[in-house]
This record gives sequence, structure tokens and C-alpha cells, in this order.
Amino acid sequence: MIVGLGEAFLVALEALRTNPLRSVLTTLGVVIGVAAVIALVSTGQAARSRVVGEFASLGPDLLWVLPGKAEQGQQFATQEGRFTLTDSDAHAIRREARAVSGVAPWLQTSVEVAAGGRREVTTVIGTTPDYLQVRALQLEVGRFLSEGDGQRRKRVVVLGPVLARQLFRTSELALGGRVVINGRAFEVVGVLRPQGQVLGVDLDDRAYIPFSTAQLLFSVNYASFLFVKAQDTASVLRAKREVERVLRREHGEEDFTVLTQSQFLGALDAILRVLTLALSSIAAISLLVGGIGIMNIMLVSVTERTREIGIRKAVGAKRADILTQFLMEAVAVSLVGGILGMGVGLGASWVISGRLLNQPLSAVSAVPVVVLAFSFSVLVGVVFGVYPAWRAARLDPIQALRYE
Amino acid sequence: MTPVVDLQGVSRVYRLGAVEVWALREVWLRIYPGEFVAIMGPSGSGKSTLLHVMGCLDRPTGGTYLLDGQDTSRLTDDALSEVRNRKVGFVFQTFNLLPRLTALQNVELPLLYAGVPRWQRRRRAAELLARVGLADRMHHRPHELSGGQQQRVAVARALVNDPAIVLADEPTGNLDSRSGEEVLALFQELNDSGVTIALVTHDPEVAEHARRVVGLRDGRLVRDEPVPRPRRARDVGGHVPHEGTTSSGV
Repeated sequence: MIVGLGEAFLVALEALRTNPLRSVLTTLGVVIGVAAVIALVSTGQAARSRVVGEFASLGPDLLWVLPGKAEQGQQFATQEGRFTLTDSDAHAIRREARAVSGVAPWLQTSVEVAAGGRREVTTVIGTTPDYLQVRALQLEVGRFLSEGDGQRRKRVVVLGPVLARQLFRTSELALGGRVVINGRAFEVVGVLRPQGQVLGVDLDDRAYIPFSTAQLLFSVNYASFLFVKAQDTASVLRAKREVERVLRREHGEEDFTVLTQSQFLGALDAILRVLTLALSSIAAISLLVGGIGIMNIMLVSVTERTREIGIRKAVGAKRADILTQFLMEAVAVSLVGGILGMGVGLGASWVISGRLLNQPLSAVSAVPVVVLAFSFSVLVGVVFGVYPAWRAARLDPIQALRYE
Repeated sequence: MTPVVDLQGVSRVYRLGAVEVWALREVWLRIYPGEFVAIMGPSGSGKSTLLHVMGCLDRPTGGTYLLDGQDTSRLTDDALSEVRNRKVGFVFQTFNLLPRLTALQNVELPLLYAGVPRWQRRRRAAELLARVGLADRMHHRPHELSGGQQQRVAVARALVNDPAIVLADEPTGNLDSRSGEEVLALFQELNDSGVTIALVTHDPEVAEHARRVVGLRDGRLVRDEPVPRPRRARDVGGHVPHEGTTSSGV
């Protein structure tokens, strides 16, 4: 008859109590491992839902036209064919695609922007008047870029509110002021209302200049990508088909990729998922180290208790009894470590997601993490406990009884 | 009557590299229920090996061994564990109690591996401790007990599963003469009540307490005779409070 598991668990706890410092230190290894895994997984989840949420807030009727053709099964193109999109593509789409309400090409560079002795290195974006409507921006003072600005390649600029304040103190003072971008003087014709941040990037310290002016200024003839806005949410897929048809005809080949917002979100989500997984794998290594700690201590413990094993065998313990006893000790260590680590990990991720990401940890998202940590820590105990336990179980009773 | 121990030409050979060491050479020995046998011999005579074989801690390499009528020669390790658990009670020279467990828990141990439920274990172990005179020491750990008391806990553990035979290996070897005397008195008292005992010793005085003496030399049985008038150990009975080393802070 083999001793029951509950009985064996109590015996194991008893054994661990006799060497408290050693047990605590061994447990600590597991606590750290489990806490790290939980903190990173749940923080990763929170970060993902925040990022995805921010992108989703851009509006479901937005489409991205990116240069280069994405491979089958991939959502983004590789580097080749980066420069295939042009301003005339934007015009063609606007002219012919019925389901589209606006198209804005986008060309972006980081340059120094100066005014009245103040300098800021910031993002300068070349785009067209449609951008205002495509991204639903609002003006605080003045006007946005006009068709005329583009046609005449005028050197006018619309500032984000933060940038305007940095260079001119107030938006009112900025209006009509002069800004030097890349060595050329530009006239400020408008200041935008605040948009806030996306993914930690401040959208309000940017400068917008006409697309044609930007091409001239930066000596390029392409667009980084095009923003396209569909008439409404229902016509997103129709807009996508139309854009593809127009561009295929214009280019004579399919050297571009049109992404809807949901595709974009999917791709973004996938990237963040991989990132979270990578971080968690690193954390899992510390759990592995914790497991090795358990194995080490269990091997020492088996040697120290050789005589005990001999006595137990002499009075009738079977291999399975001894195996269970030592396995239970390993599992008890890792289980206790797992439970404590879960507490520490959830606490850490609660602080991180709540305070830093503004994304309160939901109970629902915590459940799989908890289940994962629990089963993982038991698994660690079994995997790293089984070899020492097996060594204990196969000891010869006579040899074991003679052991000093 | 079925003998408890029936050794039929049992040999035990150890191989140390190319050298063969015959610890036991064709030993024939029967011990019947109710006997009290002392196994004597100088060190290296094979008496410990004989005890190990009789107690199913070791397997013979030749011959047949029937324990309580059951052939044990071909049993697996686990089956031997079960036989030890049900049929054998060991008493060792160094007591071999588990230091972390109380006297009660130590006595319970064989019942644990027999699958007896906790409350039954408790009751049975307490009964046995009372029988060896340690009713008031049940919750003490071994280091809180004197040598004689520890050995009596070991005797209680040996008896708790109601074994076919109690095997004792130099049970008085680590005790002063007074405690040794008490343990021998306990053995005689148990034997009087029907418990079969085999005791290994190199001390002729200890052997005189048995009813039969078996002599071993170089792994062979060289002597087997009854003790006409076994020497009675001075039965102090019960626990002995003035035994010194007891200093539990209870």
C-alpha cells in the first residue's frame, strides 16, 4: 500500500520546516522566477491593450497605403520598393475612388526648427489639406495648409500647439511669425489644437508643411505612405478595393500594400505579442534557475537523509513512497514559491499597468496568468524534483542504514 | 507448526571486484514461533548478514529462505518492503529513530506504510509505547530521551505491526549496562507473552538471556544449542526517571 498524497504533502512540509533558512532561500528562487513571468506577461498584456486602444481611437475608417508589396501571409512589405508611392497616386485615388473621402500623402523628417533664437529638433511632416479631415484635426488659430500652398510650393507651416509654445510662447504670437526649417524661412499660418500622445509620442510638437514644399526641401520625389479615409465605416473594404485598382493601373504592377485599420491593429498586436513573449521567455529563464536551485538542494537533502531513507525502507517504505516523499518536498517548495511569486508578480503588474500605463489590470486577464503560474511552478517542482527523488528511492536499505 | 524462519542452505556471496566473499555458506536454520534465539559470533562471522537476510533487507545468493512459510528468494524490492512491513520488526544497535519525529510518530511509521488511517495509527502506537513503559514520553523527540528510552521506542516501533519475528542487531551495544539490562528484560517479557525474537550479539552474557544460542564462524553455523537456564534480566519495569540524560523542557 502506498502512502496517500495528502499525507505525503504534510510530511514534506514538516521536513521543510526543519531547515527553514534553506527552504526559504530555495523558495525565493521560485518566487523571483514566477513573479518575473507574471509581471512581464500581464504588463505586456496591459501595454498591448493600451497601444491597440490608442490606434483604434484613430478611427475605424482609416486606411494606410504603404510602398512595396507584402509577401503572402505578411502584413508589411520588406524594405525593397520603399519609394514607389507619389503625390500623383494620391491625386488619382482622390479623383477616382468613390468610397474615399480624403487622401493625404505623408513625408516625414526630423530637422531643426528655429524661431527668434529658439531651436527645437522636431518632426516636420509634408502633407496636403486633406490631412486635416483625414485625421479629424482642429485648429486653434489661423488655417491649415491649402491647395494653393501646395501648387505654389509656398513656404508656410502649421505648428502643433506644444511646438508653437516652445518657439513663440503662445499660439497667438506664433501666428504670422517666421520659422526657419532646414535653413529656409517659413511663415506660420496656423496652430493646431492639442491631440495628445500616441504610444508615448507627442503629436503636438510637430510642424506641417505643404507636401510639394517638403519634397523640394528634402530633395525627394516620393511619399513615405498615404493616409486614406473611407466615406464611412461600412465602405472601408470597398475603399480598399478601389484604391488597389487605381494604384495597380497607375503603377502597372502591385508594388504597394493597402492596410485597413483592423489589419494594421492585427499586425501591431502581433508584434507586441511577440515582444511580450520574448520578455516572458527571459523571465522564464529565472524560473529555470529557481528550478535548478530546487534540484541542487534536493540532492543535498537526499544525501543528508540517506539514513532516514534506510530506516523508512527497513520499516516497509516502498520505492514509490520514498519517491513521493521527496517529490512532494520539491513540489511544496515550488508551489509555495509559485503562490508567493504570483502575489508579488500581480502586485508589480498592478502598479505598472495602473500607474504607468493607465491601464488597470482586469481580473479576467489575470486568470490565465494565475493558472499558468500555478501549473508552471508545480511543473518546475516535478521536473527538478524527480531526479533527486528517484536517487533516493533506489537506495539500497542496508547501504543507507550504514551511512553515517 | 510452520517455522517463522526457515533457512534452507542459504548462502550470501559478495563480489568485490574479482574476489568473492562468502558472508554466509549454506546455512540451515529454523526458528519456530515463540522462540528467543541469540545469534553469536565474532565480527566478520556473517551474523549481521544473516540478520539482514532473515529480515528481508538482503537477498540470499544461494539456497531458499521461507519467512513465515513464504518463499522470499524471488521477490522484488517493493515486495520485500511489504514483507518487512508486515512480518519483521527491526531493533538496531544505534536505535535508528527519525530525529525530527516524536516517539509517537516514530512508532507510527510502519503503520503509515501499511496504509493504516491516522487515528488508528495514533491509538495503536500509543498502546505500544505504554507497553514499553513510555506512555509519558510519547511527544518527546529522540534527542530528549535517554539511550534506553530511545531503544524502547525502537522496540515499540518493531512491535507495532504485530510482526512474525523481531530481529535485534546488538540492541544493547550502545547502552550502559543498566539500560542494557532493562532492554533485555523487555525482550524477555515480550518473549514470555509469545513474541518470537532473534538477537545478534557478540556478548556471551547478553546471549545467556535467550533460550537458544546459535554460533556463526566464517559464515558457517558452528553451534546450535538450547540455554538450559536463561539468565533473567533484572526487570526494573516501566520507565526509569533517574536515568540522567532526559532533560526535555516539557
